[in-house]
Amino acid sequence: MKKIIFLALISVSFIQAESILITSGTILDGSGKNPFKADILIDGARIIEISSGINESRADRLIDASDKIVTPGLISPISNIGVVEINALDVTTDDESSIYGPGFSIFYAFNPNSTLIPWNKSNGVTSAISTPGYSNEIFKGMGSYFLLDGKYDITGLQDIAMYARIGNVQGSRSENIQLMESMLLLAQKLNSDNISELLDDNLASSFGLLEQDIIALNKVAMRELPIVIEVNRAADILQALRLKKIFNLDMILMSVEEAPLIIQQIKDSGVPVIIDPMDNIPNSFDELASDIKLGGILDKNGIKVMFSTQRSHNYHLMRQGAGNAVAHGMSYKNAIRGMTLTVAETFKLKDRGQIKKGNYADIVIWTEDPLEQMSYPLSVLINGEIQDLTTRSDRLTERYTDTNDLPKAYIH
Amino acid sequence: MKKRILLSAITVCFLNSCAEPELESNLDSELSDKKEQNRKPFASNYSAMSSNLTLIKDANIYDGIGNVYLNYDVLFDEGNIINIDKDIEVENATTYHSDNKWLTPGIIDIHSHMGVYPAPGVRTSSDGNEATDPITAEVWAEHSVWTQDPQFTLALKGGVTAFHVLPGSANLMGGRGATFKNVPRNTIHDMKFPNAPHSLKMACGENPKRVYGNRGQAPSTRMGNMAGFRKAWIRAENYKKLQAEYYEKSPSARELLDPPMRDLQLDTLAGVLDGNILVQNHCYRADEMAMMIEMSHEFNYQITAFHHAVEAYKIADLLADEGICGALWADWWGFKHEAYDMVPANIAIVDQARGGTGCAIVHSDDEVGIQHLNQEAAKALIAGIRAGYDISKARAMRWITSNPAIAAGIFDQTGSIEVGKDADLVIWSGDPFSVYSIAEKVFIDGALAYDYFKDSSQPVTDFDLGILNPTSERIVQ
Repeated sequence: MKKIIFLALISVSFIQAESILITSGTILDGSGKNPFKADILIDGARIIEISSGINESRADRLIDASDKIVTPGLISPISNIGVVEINALDVTTDDESSIYGPGFSIFYAFNPNSTLIPWNKSNGVTSAISTPGYSNEIFKGMGSYFLLDGKYDITGLQDIAMYARIGNVQGSRSENIQLMESMLLLAQKLNSDNISELLDDNLASSFGLLEQDIIALNKVAMRELPIVIEVNRAADILQALRLKKIFNLDMILMSVEEAPLIIQQIKDSGVPVIIDPMDNIPNSFDELASDIKLGGILDKNGIKVMFSTQRSHNYHLMRQGAGNAVAHGMSYKNAIRGMTLTVAETFKLKDRGQIKKGNYADIVIWTEDPLEQMSYPLSVLINGEIQDLTTRSDRLTERYTDTNDLPKAYIH
Repeated sequence: MKKRILLSAITVCFLNSCAEPELESNLDSELSDKKEQNRKPFASNYSAMSSNLTLIKDANIYDGIGNVYLNYDVLFDEGNIINIDKDIEVENATTYHSDNKWLTPGIIDIHSHMGVYPAPGVRTSSDGNEATDPITAEVWAEHSVWTQDPQFTLALKGGVTAFHVLPGSANLMGGRGATFKNVPRNTIHDMKFPNAPHSLKMACGENPKRVYGNRGQAPSTRMGNMAGFRKAWIRAENYKKLQAEYYEKSPSARELLDPPMRDLQLDTLAGVLDGNILVQNHCYRADEMAMMIEMSHEFNYQITAFHHAVEAYKIADLLADEGICGALWADWWGFKHEAYDMVPANIAIVDQARGGTGCAIVHSDDEVGIQHLNQEAAKALIAGIRAGYDISKARAMRWITSNPAIAAGIFDQTGSIEVGKDADLVIWSGDPFSVYSIAEKVFIDGALAYDYFKDSSQPVTDFDLGILNPTSERIVQ
């Protein structure tokens, strides 16, 4: 029988609220600070002390992290974790609505038993924002934040950001930008007008806007809800920034493959961005400036960068993207930050994204530099609990590398 | 090799069977006369870019066939590697001091849609799936390839020196694939890898049954897929028989008869049955791959590689016994039901089957992935190590060099650093399995095709030229 090494089998999920001491790890705390060596003491869900030489007697459990790298758990700023099981099988996908527009919430669909959760967690992602999927809607709906602890008692934040896109469509993008503006103007009126008057508005009835849609858009217009706009063409990015200015939106830009052409305007706007650093393909005529140097250029201009990945189900691959961004000019510290604290700050995920006294203990211990593809997590903690890192893939590997003559169905 | 290819694409090739060696040689001399006058239509017209006697000094080498050499020199001339040794001294050679950087064979991708699905991915140039009939063995991917696809040069920057372009997987038999040298040229023939065999792209599983089932036509089920394949092979057998009956007659008897009508579709299938065209078979599920193997026995042809094969690990020994390669991803999964049982050790398990006699390939099927096949190999390698296998980086290098060369039928020419092979080489800035390493210099047939540090040694396609700014290039270096 082949050795499948379940390094996290020490996990005992019934024990809660224990104290854990992670000793002698090299800590990349997520803030961009230089790496430092220290012990981390965790009590219950939170980090209560970070210093050298913490007395082992203060903890119920020890994790030796010497010669290992310790980071905050990675946070995926955009995923379909928990809402899409198999992309091409629509009965397993819950990321689109034909009824709601901007008011669509994916929150109630979240499946803590999704196989994507152990898989991404075992690869270092401890929490994720799951979002509505691709659609031609101008506003696709709202994303929610989830901890990947796999518990039915879901820990997360409902409806933390609105998702929209500007760009190549069958009609005119000008029309879409106008509509975006008009809908936000309409939703603004909710501050003074009655909802039923707004629902009777021509625009609302033409686009089938429901009460939830107008309320959600009102939150965007009132800066209560950040809006993530997927946009690539340089001129379209400027349009997004124009809307930001008009409504004083809390805006995050995504994809931005032509950002280098108008880097100063993005810098001046102060918007953070989510990019897939490995996507250097001019996939459309909106992305002609697409280049692998994107991450480096944004970073050098002081723009906050987070990472997405195109690969369905493998949201942990943002670390491969981050590694490639570093290979092409991004600073290492901001690459790590872009998967941790930058996401927490941007989406207001309180007390997450950084290894810091008082924060939740979402922590990953890596064999080596987490941006290297041969590095992997040895231990993962979420809210101070050591996670079992067994995946369905491990079970299949174990079964099919077993040399026992039994039919495979009897090997389990 | 040359002869086989010459014969493969034309009707008379069906005489080229192992049972009839004399006929084969007669035919060969007949044809070679013609060949003197005219290049066969669509054949490779490749000629290497100009190069000098070149010496790479002090390189750490993964040779692509499982060995590592530290601090060696490699000498190449007229497109071929002529010496690999320590401290080679030679005069008049263009010399690169690699200072213990890593040298590998050029990376080869056995599954690409570059050119047939070029960038930008718009309707007007999406030419990879002739999805109008489940059997379109008559179409050739090379007839769709757009030479100005900007993806070629991006792949070159990732160290890719050769790639196999396949039709898509909408059809049971999607058409012929072809192999190319990654050189910027204005005609497809000038890019075609010399003497490389064609392949037949086959696809089982969800795609064909979805595409045609949605139209209310066959196949709409997996059993419909199988019936569709088998009906096609039966027609191919019959076609072969009719051709043979005609060409077995004496020349004088033949003069009295019209030759049997040539059928482009059945040409391809008969080429497979004759062993001249390699089968590249898109297939995910283990039970379906086993079914495809049964069918290859029924009609007596060889499957060269299963592509994607997310469940290859479930039948790794069978693949090794059958001499079938697994062309696989490191970690893709979940986009389809048949891609649900992913294990990251898939590549390693296929590699290690039957005492390490398996043939594992890291493929991309992706315009981004093809640029980072070294990183994909790194992921597959660590997964194998974590599953308990003792696999070295030198061995893992085979997955992106010699093994895809074998599956493309070009290993006699490229895919390893050995004396006599094409000088298709990459100098990496560091360990080729590191995410931070970039391809600094890429040589194709001894010519410097790409230099990270030298703008003048970086090809720019027509597409890239002046498209955003008339005075500039699409990507500013």
